[in-house]
Amino acid sequence: MNLEILLKEHFGYDSFKIGQKEVITSILAGKHTLAMLPTGTGKSLCYQLPGLILSGHILVISPLLSLMQDQVEQFKRFGEKRVVALNSFLTQEEKNSVLRQLKKYKFIFISPEMLSVPFILRKLSELSISLFVVDEAHCISQWGYDFRPDYSKLGDIRQKLGDPLTLALTATATKQVRKDIIQSLSIENCRKVETTIDRPNIAFKVEKLAEYHDKQNRVVELVTKLQKPGIIYFSSKKLAEQMASLLAEKGICRTMAYHGGQDPNTRVLIQQQFIHGQLDVICATSAFGMGVNKENIRFIVHYHMPMQLESYLQEIGRAGRDGKLSIAILLYSPGDEHLPIQLAEGELPSEQQIDWLFSKIEQEVKYTDGNLHLNNHLCELGGFNEIQWRILEELINDTPQNNRKELQKTIQLFLKKRLTAKMNNIFHMKTWVESNVCRREFIMEYFDDELTNKVIPCCDQCGLQLKDYHSSIDHTKTTTNELSWMEYLGKILMKNELSE
Amino acid sequence: MKQIESISLYCLKKLNRERTIYSIYHLLNGKKSSQTIQDAHLFSLKHLFGIYDTLTRESFEIIIQNMIKKKWINNCGEQRFDLTPEGEVNLFHSNIPSFLNGWIYHQFTNDFWERLSLLVQVASNFVNHENQYIPIQKNKDVHFWLKTILKEIQVPRLEMGSMLFSELVDCFKEAKNADPSVLIFRLTGYQQIGLTPEQTAKRLNMDIHDYHIEFINIIHYLLQKINRETKNFPLLSLLIRDLKQNNELTISSRKTWTLLNQGYSLERIADIRHLKLSTIEDHFVEFALHINDFSIDDYVEKNLQDTILEISRQINSRQLKFIRDKVKTASYFQIRLVLAKYGER
Repeated sequence: MNLEILLKEHFGYDSFKIGQKEVITSILAGKHTLAMLPTGTGKSLCYQLPGLILSGHILVISPLLSLMQDQVEQFKRFGEKRVVALNSFLTQEEKNSVLRQLKKYKFIFISPEMLSVPFILRKLSELSISLFVVDEAHCISQWGYDFRPDYSKLGDIRQKLGDPLTLALTATATKQVRKDIIQSLSIENCRKVETTIDRPNIAFKVEKLAEYHDKQNRVVELVTKLQKPGIIYFSSKKLAEQMASLLAEKGICRTMAYHGGQDPNTRVLIQQQFIHGQLDVICATSAFGMGVNKENIRFIVHYHMPMQLESYLQEIGRAGRDGKLSIAILLYSPGDEHLPIQLAEGELPSEQQIDWLFSKIEQEVKYTDGNLHLNNHLCELGGFNEIQWRILEELINDTPQNNRKELQKTIQLFLKKRLTAKMNNIFHMKTWVESNVCRREFIMEYFDDELTNKVIPCCDQCGLQLKDYHSSIDHTKTTTNELSWMEYLGKILMKNELSE
Repeated sequence: MKQIESISLYCLKKLNRERTIYSIYHLLNGKKSSQTIQDAHLFSLKHLFGIYDTLTRESFEIIIQNMIKKKWINNCGEQRFDLTPEGEVNLFHSNIPSFLNGWIYHQFTNDFWERLSLLVQVASNFVNHENQYIPIQKNKDVHFWLKTILKEIQVPRLEMGSMLFSELVDCFKEAKNADPSVLIFRLTGYQQIGLTPEQTAKRLNMDIHDYHIEFINIIHYLLQKINRETKNFPLLSLLIRDLKQNNELTISSRKTWTLLNQGYSLERIADIRHLKLSTIEDHFVEFALHINDFSIDDYVEKNLQDTILEISRQINSRQLKFIRDKVKTASYFQIRLVLAKYGER
């Protein structure tokens, strides 16, 4: 069977991207596979193509709802209609209807929460599952930056589904995390496909500024000169908005902010405008980027330090997918690490909050079935935010709770461990910023990867001319001649007759 | 002067100090409460009901604060306001967008826009022979609607674009004082993504609130025009096909209505539903407003009805307290029923 022919016929590509063919071959040979492929290499092809050959269903576990929607949309775009996403976006009615005709769907995307519903698991076990795919598999590991307690149950679930052929996918996982993935899924004899995480066409630069306040002007300078399009990442919605207005006011580029606080319709429009070249720069929070397939992004600037190298790598990985020279610039001023530290602490409930919660539980929560039920009003009273509360609920539901004191201790211990892991990540990030060695080598070492070819230009440590990334044409913003509404309408509805 | 200010002044004038300033906010938001629905009827503000459902309380307060600063309105206590002479002059010289018809159209406005925007995108991609693109509207009901109508449309796919173009241009011909730009620049086509509301407002140099109101105005214009001349717009008329006519009752009052029709008394319904008597009374007032053949005679004697109406006219007020002072034999509930049933001028 010729994989290239299938690729061309069904997806329109002439050749596989790095790692894809190895993964697909391994799957088709019936081997459990752990694949670490760089961001932007089309991971979904690794199960979509085998789906054309394998006779049973392909079950894909994916942690992010928005990502799942995107993937389903992509599948449909390529003409695969037998695809469905089982997640909390569905109404009860839709869910029932999907479950009734589950057999109809070749590709079933599912969130880990859904998977732990016994009724749904039973439905799934009636199917013949040819491939069990764990997307973003690093979420399994407590050492990962994005640990999700739900993911740690996937090993059990796999067993309940009769040990199906398994593919674990991730873009960024350290050696420790990869070990955890294999253990947790019990796929010890799996084939590992680990391509290099290096993206040779993306150069690194860390700019140290004396004062935090200098950043704004520096960004204005950079955006003015650098070749566009580009993305500027912020840790704060407000700052993203401010920068977008500033750049627009100064007439430097066509830009918009993008963050989770915006209305979903607006977000879709802004993302699409950027993809279609109607915007040059996006001032974004980390909410931006998932599912954005744009080839020609030339720069990624970080206004704030991300919380870990893993996310940094993901975010800069959105540059240069066309293989052309691109640059990642991180702005650092002394004390910048306080923000990620604050954010990390904010994501987890504090020790005091847990103690308070358990004193309350003693007083008022009744056992009806011997199990603990967290009352939602405690969430507000205890000043827990949504993320913290979700973590607690998951923990309490997952821990045997014969002994309350024991449970409290388990939770405290768990939270301590998580906080330590997060602080460690921030520490590594900061070390990278401050280190004097090659930035690329540092990252490669962090992921136990090896740099085989020295790339030039590489990073500010190895020597780098920012000039090389400047725009060659002078972008004096010419206001495009504005169409009247009737001309605009004619352009989109009768393109050929009016505009040509 | 801003459109949103004219509208607020207009509402204040109609309310005649009988309601707090926030009743305007609820009205524009289209709050589905008995109070707001009654106010819309009582004070003849139905056309403004629900025309700005995304207005936030904070933005509304800023608008009001600005008008206080400019001395257009006066605080007369208890969050009630009236117009200063300057406010009156400004109101006199202002025009409220003429096609607004919130009461009838507010529930269709969004569905209509989503359908139009998806239909234009699809037609545009047909024209350009493109079948791989991301639909700009995500609502599944709208996708389902599109699938259904595409099966029916007899026009060749390649001609849909130009047909839609001429229908839209035709349709807008009589849109006096309304600029189609507020809508057209938001449309997405082949390789051309539409603008967000903020971007469109900026491009047209408009205040964002005014932009929103003009956008609703033009949608209501289209709804009216297409409704009246269905035959002239074969494609556009598909946009209004089976737009869900929500029952005007709130969900909770619908349940009460069912029980009432099974012969239960007001008190018994409150019992059955574990609701306060006053809540069930609110539902009854809604019936009086919306259901023509709902008779209030069982709850208010004919004579008392006439007295209440008479007093309300005499003192030219709809404020319950004032009426109650004059008709001590009537309960607040009875006064509300009468005003709801017959109160509209």
